[in-house]
Amino acid sequence: MNSILIISANTFKETIRNKVLYNILLVAGVALFLSMAFGDLSVFSRAQVMADFGLATMSLTGLLLAVFIGVGMLGREISSKTVYSVLTRPVTRESFILGKFFGLFATLMMNFALISVVFFIFISLLGTSVKPSLSWAVVLTAAEMAVMISAAIFFSSFTTPTLAAIFSISFYVAGHLNNMIGIGAEQQNSVIWRTILKLLYFAFPNLDHFNIRARVVYELSIPEGYIAGALLYGLLYTTLLLSLSILFFSRKDL
Amino acid sequence: MNAVELNKVSKSYRKDFWAKKISAVSDLSFTVKRERVTGFVGPNGAGKTTTIKMIMGLVFPESGSIKIYNRDYGFPSSRKGVAYLSEQPYFYGHLTVVESLRFISELIGLNRSVISKEIERVLAVVELSGKAGSRIKELSKGMQQRLNMAQVLLGDPHMLILDEPMSGMDPPGRRLFRKLFSELAAKGKTIFFSSHVLEDIEAVCDDVVVLSKGKLAFSGEIESILEKGFLGTEMIVSLLTPDDLLFLRGLDCEVTELDKGTFSLFVPRGGNPGQVQNLLFSKGIEVLSIVRRTLPLEELLYRNDGDQEENKAEIRRQEISGRGAECKP
Repeated sequence: MNSILIISANTFKETIRNKVLYNILLVAGVALFLSMAFGDLSVFSRAQVMADFGLATMSLTGLLLAVFIGVGMLGREISSKTVYSVLTRPVTRESFILGKFFGLFATLMMNFALISVVFFIFISLLGTSVKPSLSWAVVLTAAEMAVMISAAIFFSSFTTPTLAAIFSISFYVAGHLNNMIGIGAEQQNSVIWRTILKLLYFAFPNLDHFNIRARVVYELSIPEGYIAGALLYGLLYTTLLLSLSILFFSRKDL
Repeated sequence: MNAVELNKVSKSYRKDFWAKKISAVSDLSFTVKRERVTGFVGPNGAGKTTTIKMIMGLVFPESGSIKIYNRDYGFPSSRKGVAYLSEQPYFYGHLTVVESLRFISELIGLNRSVISKEIERVLAVVELSGKAGSRIKELSKGMQQRLNMAQVLLGDPHMLILDEPMSGMDPPGRRLFRKLFSELAAKGKTIFFSSHVLEDIEAVCDDVVVLSKGKLAFSGEIESILEKGFLGTEMIVSLLTPDDLLFLRGLDCEVTELDKGTFSLFVPRGGNPGQVQNLLFSKGIEVLSIVRRTLPLEELLYRNDGDQEENKAEIRRQEISGRGAECKP
């Protein structure tokens, strides 16, 4: 447990000293600022546009962070062999993977906290109060990103950083198209295509479970137990992907 | 109990998915004794680094067993008190010298209250105290190698496994490392280090393990192997009279004039150097030096190898230092 914390702290330090993080934060700042401007051009209220833009920005920056820092993080450790200085100590490979995950997740949380503060200040400036559903939307986006970080670590545990980045982005896209894949499978006449689509449907998580943006923007109610169910779903997928990462990484020659 | 024990270990690699497997190490068995300095020798590609990586749990053997202090190498606890130095220093570029040492100190479980003092100690040992706050990427290669050694020394480990520790070191660095090895050996530490510079092996090792093409070529005490190649004793003396020369030649002593008034007396193996020494002493002749002449370690280590010439040529190519065919005391 202690080694997980030590590796997490080092990973956190590494990512907050990474210039990519600041570029991502800059993108987030620009997007939030633009949302103020676009608010006047939309048929919706400025607060609605702001909420939509803000949540989309968090999702995008989280994805960029998970893919570009997450994938490079493990791949670079292996290719630059810095992993030697850790794994030749009394440290398990499980601790290493978990340390990397928690370190990057902590960076993501810090990133989200910063964007949220700016986001909520902007919303308050528009004279609208920050509703609990907006906070829950941020929490669910964070849960989605936990799944994405574990997916990035999973892919980089057995392939090159470039391929892992491509796989991670494909995973994100497939995760958001999961409902459509399921519907497509039901509508297929060909048995082969139906089987392939069903396999894809079950293999990828449904990342839309973490997206309650439309409900927040249109001020629709959130079904009771939905948040807890989505968080549990995210936890299970994260655990599964991290377990698979550990399985692959534990057998890898370094 | 041995410090490290390898039993019929084999490992092969595939360069890419479709390529044929290449054997890196085959049926390798040897032991590293506790509290001794063991050199691990072999030309490039002999399998030294692969073997060390297997001992450290970085690479997995396909067959055989590896034990560290009687514990399977697969248990991370087997690496407690064992420090590893890689051939090239690999550091986290975002850390400073102190941060890097602190990170390793925490990983090996040093108590937080002693970490700062321990960092000061190891930096002083490797003569890097003035660089504590520097970014690692700002250090020269030689300094990075010293920092690598500082990481190894953290927590006073009882065994050090070093892969080409002096590779790329400048002469002062080599001198520092040799001195350090001698001090650690005197403290009773177990040291296992690979090198293709036989001068380093001969200077600091008690035992030697020789690897050739992934197989064990020799394993044993360095003294025993040097004894096999013992040629005789050479004494350098001055001011010999013609009578002395005649007498010495009668004792099967080869006398060669090196310089005006300086002679080399060579007593071959089986001769009696003590008798010659007594005579010189009784006549008041000054003995400038006494050296044991042996065959070069290089020749001794590879003389039984089927690919002797090839290996010797490889070793010669690799030797950084300009060690000639001269014999060592």
